[in-house]
Amino acid sequence: MMAGADGNVAEQNQDAALIERIRGGERAAFVGFYDRYSPLLFSVAARILGERKEAEDVLQEVMLVIWNKSGDYDPQLGTLSSWAVTVTRNKALDRLRARTRRLRLIEEAAILAEDSGVTSYPSANEIVHGRERAELLRDAMKELPAEQRMAIELAFFTGLSQSDIATRLQQPLGTIKARIRRGMLRLREQLGGAL
Amino acid sequence: MIDEGLQEQAAAYALGALDAEETNAFEVSLRVDPELRALVRELRSVTEALAGTAPALEPPAAVMARLLLEIDQRRASAPKTAHDRPVSAPVSAPVSAPVSGPIGVPVSRPANLWIPWAVAAALAVLSVAFLWQSTNVRSQLAAQANQINELTISAELARSENADLRLAVVKLRESNRLAKFRIALLDSLLAASPKAIAVSVWDNDRQNGVFIVRNLKPLPSDKDYQLWIIDPKYPSPVDAGVFQVDAKGNVRQDFRAKMPIQTANQFAVTIEQKGGAAVPNTKAMVLAGS
Repeated sequence: MMAGADGNVAEQNQDAALIERIRGGERAAFVGFYDRYSPLLFSVAARILGERKEAEDVLQEVMLVIWNKSGDYDPQLGTLSSWAVTVTRNKALDRLRARTRRLRLIEEAAILAEDSGVTSYPSANEIVHGRERAELLRDAMKELPAEQRMAIELAFFTGLSQSDIATRLQQPLGTIKARIRRGMLRLREQLGGAL
Repeated sequence: MIDEGLQEQAAAYALGALDAEETNAFEVSLRVDPELRALVRELRSVTEALAGTAPALEPPAAVMARLLLEIDQRRASAPKTAHDRPVSAPVSAPVSAPVSGPIGVPVSRPANLWIPWAVAAALAVLSVAFLWQSTNVRSQLAAQANQINELTISAELARSENADLRLAVVKLRESNRLAKFRIALLDSLLAASPKAIAVSVWDNDRQNGVFIVRNLKPLPSDKDYQLWIIDPKYPSPVDAGVFQVDAKGNVRQDFRAKMPIQTANQFAVTIEQKGGAAVPNTKAMVLAGS
């Protein structure tokens, strides 16, 4: 089960305090956020883009958004780090869309080939949350039915719309929507307090 | 209780998979429904956990130094605002960077004040990185050996006509998660279909792969495209199955080889009679690559 309403409220208060400090121009708060979450944001950008140099540029852009546009963050809709992940994903995908169709095809193929979801590399979750919690997250992903995991990963890491995913996987749109819904809700239940 | 339709939208919204119109419509519901906001908040944490399954990479210390430089440059050029106020140092900061004032800064402060801060921050991050590295010498050596291997591959590929594209493949392999896959780009050999392209991702351990084709001309019903794997272990290419493309010339297909593959050196696609052939018709080769 989830952390609960009390946990959410405490988290929201923490994030609100942190963002307030960043908004106030408190550099140490900004550096603290960077130290904790830059490996996650950098890893996400590198996973989407497939290379480090552009991922560095994305990380820098995202951190400047956090410094300059922290007013866009709404604590009611997620933690500060989950907002930063969303901003990172969107910025990385903007760059990905500017690439040639051929390059995008390779990246899409890579995700499809990974449909086993059983990975042996250390994940960004390990750096941010520690090994134990990272393993819990990894196990939850592994236990997800392959078709649900693939639809979710294609949506997040390639930026394909649900219609595009339906076309790519040769499934009805309704099936893809249902897979994403079931997969996300199942992950929510399985991850519970680890989130 | 949130109905399934809204749950679907919430899941897609948290993943960023709604288009602009759907997003706007969903955000209207979001504004008036606290239960829906709570669901989205939880699903965004799921998305963050999903994002964290990416292979772990540490950004170079230079990124932080560049960030501090940019922030200070902006501050130096920004007019002082009514909201400017002094800020006290926090109780604990992970990096001992000096604490500064708000974004707007008095113009009398020296513009190059960022230099010692940037250097201090970079040195601090580098120190941590050095400490980490010293405890991981063995894995570093292995990584270096891998890097040399990748650089060798990279140098070979750079000679090819599609150097940039092939370099992208190498970079993907560098990201660890794809190390076990053999990724090949198949270019069109048809002057009439120069835009046709395919990617083959082969997992030698599991002896299966994924094949994606774009812009290949659909065939008449009595013909099939056939995929071949060139393995030096065998005197002729190994049959990896037949396929058809859709009306737009696209297909995604899981495939297996008819024989155990030791080394998938190259991949090729030929046009064959319906059902495929035992040996490829090399005169009807439409895609090939490594």
